[in-house]
Amino acid sequence: MHRVSRLDLLQGTLDLLILRILQSGHALHGWAISERIRQISGNVLQANQGSLYPALHRLEHQGWIKAEWGVSELGRRARFYRLTSSGRKQLQQEADNWARLATAIGKVLEMA
Amino acid sequence: MTLTDLRLRLRALFLRARVEQELDDEVEFHLAMARHKHLAAGHSEEDAIRLARLDFGRVSSVKEDCRSVRGIIALETGMQDIRYALRSFNRNRNFVLAVSGTIALGLGLNLALFTLFNAYVLRPLSIRDPYGLYAFTWSDSTGQEHAFTWDEYRELLKQKSIFSDVAAVQGVYTRVEGHAFRGDLVSGNYFQMLGVGTTLGRPLLPKDSDAPGREPFIVLSYDAWQSRFGGRLDIVGAKIMIRGFPMEVVGVTPREFQGLGESPRDFWSPLSMAHRLQDGPDLFGAEHPESLEIIGRLRTERSVSAAEALLLAWSKQMTAQSTPEHKATGALLRSRATSIPLTPELLAVFSPLIAAFALVLVLACTNVASMMLARATARQREIGIRLSLGAARGRLIRQLLTESVLLSIPAAILGLIISRLTIDAALWTVFATIPKDMLELAHDVARPVDWRVLGFMFFAALISALLFGLAPAIQATRVSVISSVRGESTSDVRPSRVRNGLVIAQVALCTLLLIACGALVRTTMAMTTFDIGFHTDHIIAMEVTDSGRRRVMDALSTDPEVDAIASASSVPLGGRLPVVSASTGGGPTIDVARNEVSSQYFDILRVPLLKGRGFSIEEASPEAPVAILSAGAAARLFAGRDPLAQTIRLEAPERVVRIVGVASDIVTCCIAYGKDAAVLYSPASPSKTGNLLVHVRGEVETERHRLDTLLAALAPGAINDIHSLDQYRAVGIYAFQVASMIGMAVGGLALFLTLSGIYGVVSFFVTQRTKEIGIRVALGATTLMVTTLVLRQALRLASIGISAGVLLGIGVARVLASQMIFLRVFDGAAFAAGVLLVLSTALAAGYVPSRRAAEIDPINTLRYD
Repeated sequence: MHRVSRLDLLQGTLDLLILRILQSGHALHGWAISERIRQISGNVLQANQGSLYPALHRLEHQGWIKAEWGVSELGRRARFYRLTSSGRKQLQQEADNWARLATAIGKVLEMA
Repeated sequence: MTLTDLRLRLRALFLRARVEQELDDEVEFHLAMARHKHLAAGHSEEDAIRLARLDFGRVSSVKEDCRSVRGIIALETGMQDIRYALRSFNRNRNFVLAVSGTIALGLGLNLALFTLFNAYVLRPLSIRDPYGLYAFTWSDSTGQEHAFTWDEYRELLKQKSIFSDVAAVQGVYTRVEGHAFRGDLVSGNYFQMLGVGTTLGRPLLPKDSDAPGREPFIVLSYDAWQSRFGGRLDIVGAKIMIRGFPMEVVGVTPREFQGLGESPRDFWSPLSMAHRLQDGPDLFGAEHPESLEIIGRLRTERSVSAAEALLLAWSKQMTAQSTPEHKATGALLRSRATSIPLTPELLAVFSPLIAAFALVLVLACTNVASMMLARATARQREIGIRLSLGAARGRLIRQLLTESVLLSIPAAILGLIISRLTIDAALWTVFATIPKDMLELAHDVARPVDWRVLGFMFFAALISALLFGLAPAIQATRVSVISSVRGESTSDVRPSRVRNGLVIAQVALCTLLLIACGALVRTTMAMTTFDIGFHTDHIIAMEVTDSGRRRVMDALSTDPEVDAIASASSVPLGGRLPVVSASTGGGPTIDVARNEVSSQYFDILRVPLLKGRGFSIEEASPEAPVAILSAGAAARLFAGRDPLAQTIRLEAPERVVRIVGVASDIVTCCIAYGKDAAVLYSPASPSKTGNLLVHVRGEVETERHRLDTLLAALAPGAINDIHSLDQYRAVGIYAFQVASMIGMAVGGLALFLTLSGIYGVVSFFVTQRTKEIGIRVALGATTLMVTTLVLRQALRLASIGISAGVLLGIGVARVLASQMIFLRVFDGAAFAAGVLLVLSTALAAGYVPSRRAAEIDPINTLRYD
């Protein structure tokens, strides 16, 4: 129960990060996405890489990303994810929301 | 549920192993890449593996989370949709009421029909393993099906490899204390085989059939015990007289068991009592009558077709010594699991009824679809905003469909209530109108709401939800985002076009239904007033046993109220007559129906003799070589020549008869088939053979009752059946009267639904064009002009629908014309009445909105925007 609620807390942020990373247009596998998150966030979101996968599958079920099997740079079979058009729309919306929220919180903090 | 989601979930469902393997591979790949990275950073192989696992977290819980994603998404959005729909229902309670009420009307009607169908046709009899029970018959080369002799039954009992048990049954139809009393003579194993016990006393046992006539035992049905013997608890051990023979009651069956046939049984007795209770040849005598019905419990390992093959071989062996036309060529097993077996013929007979009822449900759905469209149009702005905010169209359609399905739940419950009320009302009507003598043969069974009825209810409700929900959902989400956000809903938005289409379809179906109902009602009226060619008044028909005939004739001939007695092998209006081939020397050979009648037959029925004379007293025997032809038979056999004193040859059995008279045509078989085409009358005597036709002076029903009681005392058990000819006539028409009543009820409901459909659309038309009408009025349009504008809209829709309905009616009539014999399918009056009724309904439905339109105040409407 505790584990699930923590996942819920992270979910929105993680979803946004994944969509943002896939925005470049390249299809990426889970490991690559996890590495990108680590690099971009400066190791902040490094722990518990496993929680990335339920998020990826969730996004796939929503129809925002699309998965297909391909061959990785080391010649192994890997699952590659790609952003769909409705995923692009979703990213736009969530990014806007995020920005609004951030601005709002920033203003509140400045005021105090 | 998005389409992607559905696809992935189906994939997970059907390709579970593959989806799991992919998940394993994906996780494995991640761990391999992590290990690779740690190795490159200089860790040992062992550390690299440990670190990779540490970074990843618990593999099993990650996989579990991935799995739950497949299930959760749909559930989440589904709950959202439901919450959203319930909130909007709460704001529009009248809308919810109108929709569920309309669907419930159509659903309730169909549910009532299904409940009855279930009770008689689908619900298994309350016996042990009903689906293992089969009736067996064999047929000869002419297709004639045969019953069995006692010896054949004894042989069949030895065939243990096909049936685990076989019972023999023979129906008995007699009268006890002025009431019809129907029973089955059964082999001793009957109750054991069926697994039926008793509420009181004991059932019949194999030992009861040991020797013919030794033990006169009888088991009563629960209903007979209650209605005829007042539910007396000391009934077991009491003696009751059947055919003048005392029988000892040994038990009473449970209420649920009323026998295996289509009509309920009042009693059961051992077959060994046949010679006491049965008229006709002795079952155990030298004649070997084929009079037993065979019902067996099929061995569980045998399929029906395999058993039929074995039984065919057995039948062929049994009939190997018979004449060629009496050899078995087919063997047939019919399920006896339900009181009426479900056959294609049964469905064919009831298909018009089923179709009419289904049409009413479709009409109700059309109405609701129209209401949903109106609502969707009113919600255009909301839908437009949601679309412009990026809501997927599929998601919105799903939302609207969720609303439909939710609406169908109260509709289903309301429908169930309506169906119970409908059944009660229908039964009340039937009991109030049924011909009196038919009532005692009516088979009333339990009509429970079981899982089949509930299943049908939910299935029908769901189908109607899709019917009324899908088109509006698709249509409503096809709005222009720009204009709807601006709040414009112009009259050329497509929903109103779809609504018009719906109303036109509705008018067409309604017209079709009304035309069909009109034809049915007119047919029934025509049958009621049809000239049957003879008079039924003051005549009582009796079926008497051969052994009691002498005493009955003595009692009747000395009775002061009895005017005349005639006999007929077939009572007029009593059903089909046997057919013989007849030919003149050199002339055509035709099939004629044959009735053996006494000379008084023509007198008391007042059938005019057109030529010649009736039978003389000396000729009063079927062997006398004379005959009277019906006018139709004379015309077909002699084609204009004088038939008097001519001879004709009859076949099977072959003989030559001389024509002594020609009688005018009458209806002998059934009113529905009209007058018989050709009848040949042979002479007979009431004191020797045939049913008695008794002409009485007084009121016929009083006399019938008096004679029934009198004869029960003077000639016990001699009367099998006694009815007035008026009742025969009433019974013959009754089925059509019931059909007419159902037709009028269905037609009325259809008309009501159409009325509300047209009203809805025209009202909406007025609301949508309020601005336009306001401008017209401001520019000087009169009340009449505005009213006409609105009414013209109603009439335009109605006239298109009516034309389509009339075309449909003609089409249906052409199909039915080949099946119905008496029914007048191309009935101009029915067509005209249907069209007029629908047209006036359309006008009435348009009138109220048109008045509202006429009262529009231009100032208010123009200020509105």
